[in-house]
Amino acid sequence: MSDLVYRHNRVTRATHWLNAAALMVLFMSGLMIFNAYPFLHWGSKAERGEAFFSIYASGEDGDVRSYTELYGRRADTTGLFGTQNTDMGPLPRAFPSWITIPGFYCLACGRRWHFFFAWLFVLNGLFYFIYNRATGHVSQFILRPRDVPKLLPMALYYLRIRKTSPQEGEYNPLQKLAYTSVFFILTPLVMLTGLAMSPQMGVAFNWLPALFGGRQSARSVHFILAFSFAFFTLGHIMMVITTGAINNMRSMMSGWYREKFHAEELAAAEAPAPALKNPAAPAETIEAPAPRAENGGGDEKERP
Amino acid sequence: MKKSGLEITRRKLLAGALYGAALLGLSGCDKLFNRLQQSRRVEALLDSAETASRGFLRLLTGRRRLAQEFEEKDISRYFKPNGNPPPLENEYLADAAGGWTNWRLDVGGMVERPTRFTLAELKELPARTQITRHDCVEGWSAIAKWKGVPLARIIARVNPAPAARYAVFHCMDRDDDGELYYESIDMRDARHPQTILAYEMNGAPLPVEHGAPLRLRVETQLGYKMAKYIRRIDFVADLKQIARGKGGYWEDRGYEWYAGI
Repeated sequence: MSDLVYRHNRVTRATHWLNAAALMVLFMSGLMIFNAYPFLHWGSKAERGEAFFSIYASGEDGDVRSYTELYGRRADTTGLFGTQNTDMGPLPRAFPSWITIPGFYCLACGRRWHFFFAWLFVLNGLFYFIYNRATGHVSQFILRPRDVPKLLPMALYYLRIRKTSPQEGEYNPLQKLAYTSVFFILTPLVMLTGLAMSPQMGVAFNWLPALFGGRQSARSVHFILAFSFAFFTLGHIMMVITTGAINNMRSMMSGWYREKFHAEELAAAEAPAPALKNPAAPAETIEAPAPRAENGGGDEKERP
Repeated sequence: MKKSGLEITRRKLLAGALYGAALLGLSGCDKLFNRLQQSRRVEALLDSAETASRGFLRLLTGRRRLAQEFEEKDISRYFKPNGNPPPLENEYLADAAGGWTNWRLDVGGMVERPTRFTLAELKELPARTQITRHDCVEGWSAIAKWKGVPLARIIARVNPAPAARYAVFHCMDRDDDGELYYESIDMRDARHPQTILAYEMNGAPLPVEHGAPLRLRVETQLGYKMAKYIRRIDFVADLKQIARGKGGYWEDRGYEWYAGI
């Protein structure tokens, strides 16, 4: 009896980890580049005093305070953003050294890391996409119109309001939404806004910076997208942890995943009634229906 | 049998990953990257992206495409004069006050006809006026109107040898250590229709803080390529013999020679 299934092929696993490394370096070196001019503007030019977002420090020696400002709303972020506590007291610096590459201030270095890993990110992503398109894997996580009505039921299932999952196939509708947005919206946009900042690219295609409302707008959108990637990654890691960290990590490293449902079916086939009491059974299957029973909310199956 | 083999592999993998994560956590991510930053091999690897970017972007661009030109209303109210302070030499200051009558532009190197221009002579040549966006490597952009001589006209006048691959701009401004600014572009950018030697900014003579009497505009690249306070242009085959050999003041300090990105 084997309950291990081969879930991720070699290419997926290799490109996944390369992508993880690339995204981390891109994010951190990007913050270094941002530190060179910690202001964001809309439009083509960066008119002084018209930034909609800024991180800045002010004050005398020994008493430097820093502020993060968004559309005129100012928050004191001394020691977090805008200043960094050092042996010499707080020094001006938009994003602190522990989250930038390199840790010391070096715009030239940050740019070199950023552009190298930008190429790696794109080529690695292309390789993943072409290979998994050929194997048919990509089509399994693309959100299709018929998945849209299932999005809300899936969210309700996650929130434990609904008992049964509307999932069909490898990916559930919310997973499809997440991966489809990252692949077909976030990734192309982050590439295009990045390229829209290049003066040479602007010469090749005048419309490219204009598409985003000008070069400074492209820079701002690029910055926002970088944080969208960061939030996606945080959500992704949270899901990995809450749905069985070891099992998920193993499947992304070796390819093999211990199929929970398969184990349940086997257990159910052997001894239907006491199966739920089996301590080896995943905890969620026992606990999930409990809150519903307390709420006493009618016929759950009828809920959309 | 197959499964036990698998067990070992994934245990090894997990142990390896945990060890790696622990190492990363212990050393501190920034310290790891700081150390990588010092490595020559890492530096050479990262540099390969510059070649890729240049090849890719230029493949897309074509030679005749122009940077976006803006309208008068788009001109920035304030244009940050970045870089070194203006030259402090008495000759420079006196000449600035006297309308640049003593200043000369020397164009030489691997050329058929080395030529010396006065500012008046440059102004007599057919000029190009353009309202363009200046993109600083720091991330900001500013828009201004520039008027000057297309570098292509100067090239036609002095006729560089076919072996000449770069135009090198020697400047009068210095950093805190007294090192002179210089820059270089290749012949493709030098011949670009919007590459001009500007002597006017926003309809007035080029201000001292923006590189008077003459500065370069290269609209295909970032601001640090656009040398200010120019006194000499040399056409050369190789950049290695000049200063620290990387083709420009900022390039000698780690920035990419190709600043089209």
